[in-house]
Amino acid sequence: MNTLLDRLATDFGIYDISDRKPAITTLKVEKQQAERLIRELRDREGYTHLNFITCIDYIEQGIFTLVYMLHNYGDKSTLGVEVDIDRENAEMTSIHTLWAQAWTYQRELREMFGINFPGSPRQEEDFCLEGWDDIPPMRREFNTKTYSTETFGHREGRVSEDPREHMKAQLYPTRGGDN
Amino acid sequence: MSLKDLLSPFFVWQRAFEKPWTNMRPIEERPGAPAYRGFHINLADSCIGCGSCHTICQNEAIDMVPVEEFSGRPGDSGLRPRFDYGRCCWCALCVDICTANSLHMSNEYTWLARDPTDYHFTAGVEEKPWQDSELGYHRAEGYHLYPPKRIDMDMLTADESVQSFDEVVNGYSEEQAKLEADRCVECGICVATCPAHMDVPDYIRSIRDGDFETGLQLMYRTNPFPATCGRICTHRCEEVCPVGITGQPIAIRWLKRFIVDQVDSIDYARILDSEIIENGHKVAVIGAGPGGLSAAYYLRKKGYSVTVYESQETGGGMLRYGVPSYRLPDDALDKDIDYIISVGVDIRYNTIIGKDVMFEDLLGEYDAIFLSTGLSVPSSMRINGEDHPRVLSGLQVLADVARGKDPGIGRKVAVIGGGNVAMDAARVSRRLGADVDILYRRRISEMPADPEEIKESQEEKCNLVEKAIPVEIMDTGSKKQVTIKWGEAEMVQDPKGGRPRPVLQEDRMHTETYDCIISAIGQGSNLDFITPAVQEQLAIEWGKFTPGEYQRSELEKIFVGGDVANRTADAISAIEDGHHAARGIDRFLKPGAYAEN
Repeated sequence: MNTLLDRLATDFGIYDISDRKPAITTLKVEKQQAERLIRELRDREGYTHLNFITCIDYIEQGIFTLVYMLHNYGDKSTLGVEVDIDRENAEMTSIHTLWAQAWTYQRELREMFGINFPGSPRQEEDFCLEGWDDIPPMRREFNTKTYSTETFGHREGRVSEDPREHMKAQLYPTRGGDN
Repeated sequence: MSLKDLLSPFFVWQRAFEKPWTNMRPIEERPGAPAYRGFHINLADSCIGCGSCHTICQNEAIDMVPVEEFSGRPGDSGLRPRFDYGRCCWCALCVDICTANSLHMSNEYTWLARDPTDYHFTAGVEEKPWQDSELGYHRAEGYHLYPPKRIDMDMLTADESVQSFDEVVNGYSEEQAKLEADRCVECGICVATCPAHMDVPDYIRSIRDGDFETGLQLMYRTNPFPATCGRICTHRCEEVCPVGITGQPIAIRWLKRFIVDQVDSIDYARILDSEIIENGHKVAVIGAGPGGLSAAYYLRKKGYSVTVYESQETGGGMLRYGVPSYRLPDDALDKDIDYIISVGVDIRYNTIIGKDVMFEDLLGEYDAIFLSTGLSVPSSMRINGEDHPRVLSGLQVLADVARGKDPGIGRKVAVIGGGNVAMDAARVSRRLGADVDILYRRRISEMPADPEEIKESQEEKCNLVEKAIPVEIMDTGSKKQVTIKWGEAEMVQDPKGGRPRPVLQEDRMHTETYDCIISAIGQGSNLDFITPAVQEQLAIEWGKFTPGEYQRSELEKIFVGGDVANRTADAISAIEDGHHAARGIDRFLKPGAYAEN
């Protein structure tokens, strides 16, 4: 593994290599090198299986981190290839030509995070959020609470009490505050 | 129709009595996975109704509703979560945030009811079949949505602290304070427990927002001694902080101190001053301790002309003369008192009531009087030889040190007592270079002193001797020494169910000679300044007033508060007594202004 990582560092400039769990290693690579690296891992290094593609929203840093989880059946090792992309007009090279099923993940990422994968099949279609009319819900600026308040009605007769106000009314009605 | 057709149903019927050809396969129960996020379980007895589940729920599926049987429990809002399964999405954020770790989910996921309103229930209060299920989603051990450990406070080591009277606690940096403030879940349970009902969650939020001026304003709503309380408050709020149930409570006291430390006293007037509309009434306050000055401050803000009479040369009472400067430096106390004076409170120092000014004259001259004279008379040990010149009182030693005077304790000291005055006297003695034994008649665990004072005095190498009962003080023939005879005690259960009593063991006596003995077993009041005719009309029990509503005494003009009128005898209670008396005096003198009258 170490020889492989050393070579990848030279050829693809991978960085931030870390062992997350036994037999799971993650590494980072620049966006421009990502597809070439993943192809190399599939074709020459035995990482023939794409477990999944996922995304983490680092809103504070203005980036999405895409994670391509690849598996090698030969030595049962797993590699997570992490790629940072801009949150603004988020776009990434499609890898559906490497694994046909990748387009499903990419369609999901488009719907949930708003990431574009030009050329990926059926990008425009709804995936599981039929009729969704708001910003992609996994983006962290999406306010779930506001959305649910505005979208769903309330059962009649529901009342909630604030613990602090309730205790004041019960225990010290004439004390506390500006009086 | 043939005969066969006619009979065939009967041939089929005969099969009914044969063994079936098919296998019986009953519909299996399909239980949810062991960690399935099914219906909610709340251990209602452990729940304290902090409402964090309600706050975090992104679907507004949880209401907090009053449940009678939990009403009035300390540190418990008396509310319990009620779930609307029409809105729940079983995300389990409510379980993850639960401060009391009382909320879980069972692996049960089927519930059939004809009436949709049934899917709305108070978990743990309404009986449900899954309430006792052990399976289902529980928050993993060690997993918290907020850091369970508080940010460590930078303090002098015990070796450093005994070298001087420098403040032991250094205070948080802004970065530390923000991290600590971030742990607060803003439930507000602490507000009920704080004697002054300070707006704790709000001022903690001001730290997160970096808006310390708002924080200061919020603190002054209920407490004009934030620099002081930010250092020496008994912080009972922290005892009920829900974050402390599975982790360490928010360092509320240190956060209060942090806010005050961020604002320069020069800016106080700009931030805090509001227009004072004079109302023409005059109030006298007797005693410039935290209770008296708190009353003075809030009365002044309401437009009263306030005169405070103080027997000592400066204000602060026990905060000045009883709390050593390594816990509360003078400049912190002065920051509080100077602002109170700046709003127009007139303090007459070195003025003794009954000598310089007559109590009955005050009664005639002022529209109301607030008495908060504190407890200034050391209690007697009631043993022979107690009046020996080398027996000093803890209060006197502390007052001498506060005034920069050498109390003359020598090199080897015994402190008698287990309260804060005893701990302070012992720690002061260590700083003056003495070896210290602390003799306490009960067990260390029963000491009335704050636990951190006990811990710090031990760290500063005060030798705590528990179950030690003083029996006699004896002269040594030297003017610089004194001998004490004390006996070991055994704790005996009280048949009436009270706390165990120490019983002297006559066969296990010790004698030890010290340079001085510091007696600090409690203190009482001195109410001699009140003329007997007035005293007769006041209910005084064990030297303490027994105030009624709004701190009022039996005489309508006289309000009382502070150590001389409450059981807790701490600064924050005195501050609230003063504030509450100010509310009471305002209601008494301006009855028309309040709807409730």
